[in-house]
Amino acid sequence: MTRLDLRAPSVYVPMLLLVLALVAPVAVPNAFFRSVLIEAAIFALLGVGWNILGGYAGQLSLGHAAYFGMGAYTSTLLLVYGGVATIYGMWVGAVMAMLLSIPIGLASFRLRGPYFAIASIATAETLRLLALKFREFTFGALGTTIPLTPNAPLNFLFADKLGLYYTAVTLVLVAVAATAWIERNKLGFYLVAVGQDEDAAEAVGVRSPWVKQQANFVSAFVSALAGTLYVQYTYFIQPDTVFGLAISTEAVLVAIVGGVGTLWGPVIGALLLQPIAAVAQAQLGSTYAGAQLIVYSVILLVVILARPSGVVGVLSPVYWRALSILPGAAIDRRRRVAPASEVSRASAA
Amino acid sequence: MPALLRVERLSKRFGGLRAVQDVSFEVQEGEILALIGPNGAGKTTTFHLITGFHRADSGRVLFGDSDLVGLRPSAVCLKGVCRTFQVARPFGDMTVLENVMTGAFSRRPRRAAAASRAREVLGLVGLEGKIDVLARDLTTIDQRRLEVARALSTDPRLVLLDETMAGLNQAEADVAVALVRRLREEGLTVVIVEHVMRAIMAIADRIVVLDHGQKIAEGLPREVVDDPEVVRAYLGSSYRHAS
Amino acid sequence: MTPTVVIQAVINGLLIGGIYGLVSIGVSLIFGVVKFVNFAHGEFLMVAMFATFWMWQLLGLDPYVSLFISVPLMFLFGACVQQVLFRRVIGGSDLPQIFLTFALGILLANLALLFFRADVRTVRTPYTDATINIANEIFISWPRLIAFLVALALSGALFTFLTRTDIGQAMRAAAQDRDTAMLVGIDPDRVYRVAVGLASALAAAAGTLLMPFFVVHPYVGAQFGLIAFVVVIVGTLGDIRGALLGGLLLGVVESLGIQFVGADSGRILVFLILLLTLILRPSGLFGGRGART
Repeated sequence: MTRLDLRAPSVYVPMLLLVLALVAPVAVPNAFFRSVLIEAAIFALLGVGWNILGGYAGQLSLGHAAYFGMGAYTSTLLLVYGGVATIYGMWVGAVMAMLLSIPIGLASFRLRGPYFAIASIATAETLRLLALKFREFTFGALGTTIPLTPNAPLNFLFADKLGLYYTAVTLVLVAVAATAWIERNKLGFYLVAVGQDEDAAEAVGVRSPWVKQQANFVSAFVSALAGTLYVQYTYFIQPDTVFGLAISTEAVLVAIVGGVGTLWGPVIGALLLQPIAAVAQAQLGSTYAGAQLIVYSVILLVVILARPSGVVGVLSPVYWRALSILPGAAIDRRRRVAPASEVSRASAA
Repeated sequence: MPALLRVERLSKRFGGLRAVQDVSFEVQEGEILALIGPNGAGKTTTFHLITGFHRADSGRVLFGDSDLVGLRPSAVCLKGVCRTFQVARPFGDMTVLENVMTGAFSRRPRRAAAASRAREVLGLVGLEGKIDVLARDLTTIDQRRLEVARALSTDPRLVLLDETMAGLNQAEADVAVALVRRLREEGLTVVIVEHVMRAIMAIADRIVVLDHGQKIAEGLPREVVDDPEVVRAYLGSSYRHAS
Repeated sequence: MTPTVVIQAVINGLLIGGIYGLVSIGVSLIFGVVKFVNFAHGEFLMVAMFATFWMWQLLGLDPYVSLFISVPLMFLFGACVQQVLFRRVIGGSDLPQIFLTFALGILLANLALLFFRADVRTVRTPYTDATINIANEIFISWPRLIAFLVALALSGALFTFLTRTDIGQAMRAAAQDRDTAMLVGIDPDRVYRVAVGLASALAAAAGTLLMPFFVVHPYVGAQFGLIAFVVVIVGTLGDIRGALLGGLLLGVVESLGIQFVGADSGRILVFLILLLTLILRPSGLFGGRGART
């Protein structure tokens, strides 16, 4: 694609969707609706991060809360102790998460099997325990609130949370764009190759431990940013929440439900799941503890057993089909914008 | 002229089993060498040892000046030694073109260059008509072609082909034989593990025979076929079958 | 740091280590046979603990009596889980295997939360605080000692089963050979059911034996499960003996950690051992050939 042709459905449909995403919280000024959107954006970001490592490279992390929490704690502690604005602190947090990913990668990426999954849970748990232990520094189990200053954009504290939403959407878009770039280039091919068959990948010159670690770096970085946004959204940080199993589950869930190893899977997954989670929480949460995670785990079980390719597996053919009948579809056909796999699927059908 | 590949006293045990014992042979540049022997003779293990999938207990694998023992498979590939697997292992969720591009990226970091190399190699193996098919939807034979193409796309100097012709009918085997000849014309050196004797007799310059992990014979195809020990160990039945 | 404190910590660690061993043997047995880690295994233990608690609360059954109910029940539970859920992902890729069991664990924990709330519950027995004074200032708790001894006995019984029966030998063969199913002449589905059933029964025994001296709450399973996952790596995946010895070892490590690092953070040492194992000896203590790389 050399030039964006606004008459082509492959260009105007995504743009319309983007406009919809940007306008939605303004058009519907409802606090509940907005909070659902913000949560969806934050967990979409976490899911995009998880997906790079778990979806593309096939390294299934059950402890992504480690990176999420690392980002959250780093930016929060920098703000609380050093007065460092969150807009800077979040990058420090992301880099800290990358550093954290090194020992995990060194320990488990030479191996195959369940080692990485176990090491990842253990890492999240270790960090949770460390945050509890060094309570003078981390505020321990009691946690701490974010110092509230009215309308401090550099700390992502805005009068009506709309600013936080747009910040999150921007980061999601950048992360998706980065994933798209990776997907098209050497690293993306290598990640998928390692995820599919490590031996076959090695045989054609792919150094699998290093490739996995590269995915781990990107994944840690992105997931940590989500962690920072999350605390700026809840105004509160505590080890059990940011390093807890619920966050790790959320990361896995949005990616798997949406479509593992697909560009938009985690975003679609988050958009579908967050409303369900929010409604379950609002309707049942106070009376029935655990309702949200019960709903989540049942969804996960059903998706794994019935539709391992996730929602994208269902929606993607529909989407390309729709594009092919919208006005201007001829332009797309001439430019061959549909992915080869979709074309071959359509011709096979 | 120094050999391109020199295998020196290579040995590997698995528990009590001596899979490969003291095996030595050389491969000259531009040669087609066949590695044959009955099932369990250690042919595939020898490939694994050369290409870094198993680490040799002792012995050396000299490729040019460097010892390949202890290198990761990917490093061996980057040195210029690439192999195929006995059972083809395509990246099933990728298209044919993407599979081969993955190999081509090893020497060409840029996408466009990798894609054009991939198309070139796919033309060589006769898969140019199927570049957008998902690898898992290919027939077994096409998957094997893909496997060869993916190996070639890494620009090896030496390719190790592990039973590329098993299960092919005669016409298909003839195509495969022509392909291997073509590789040599392209300047490649080839080591093949193969059971189809007709094909081996047609293309191999020399044959190394393994049995129970040891080399029992080596020489020109005609000499090896008449070697009484080889006949006893292996060829006796299957050669007569094949011809 | 007086020697008495250290000795006491080691003793307590060994005793709880027997329980860790029992849980880990189950994880290792399942891994050996069906080739994936049951990430819900800790929650199986939690289910048995709640069953024991309610049998005591509602029926007045002593845990050592309800052992004879919870163990067979959990055997059936495990066999059913295998038949209904695990069977569908055997031989598949990592993703469905890992997330099926992971989701099952979350489901069980949160169902417990839904029904029983987050309350921490205990079973009070006449012998809960009974101890033996074996030396000056060194005590052994009776229920912990019993748990330890029964755990060892059950491990021995399992080992006998694996070596002496056809189906047990089929399991060992399957555990040793990753690639070919050596289940000649035996219905593999039955082997799977029995393996997962036995592993669940061991988790049940561990849970019930814990109740006289331990608390139960919906998230207690995660705690034991995680230790067991570390144990099976340290003691070599699929190795039964390694799981038991690894359990004892990490029981001691954790106990020393609690004593000298801190009550809530002592388990950091356990994870340190995991990190060291993965880096220095990834095949575990009993993995001679090295993990497949």
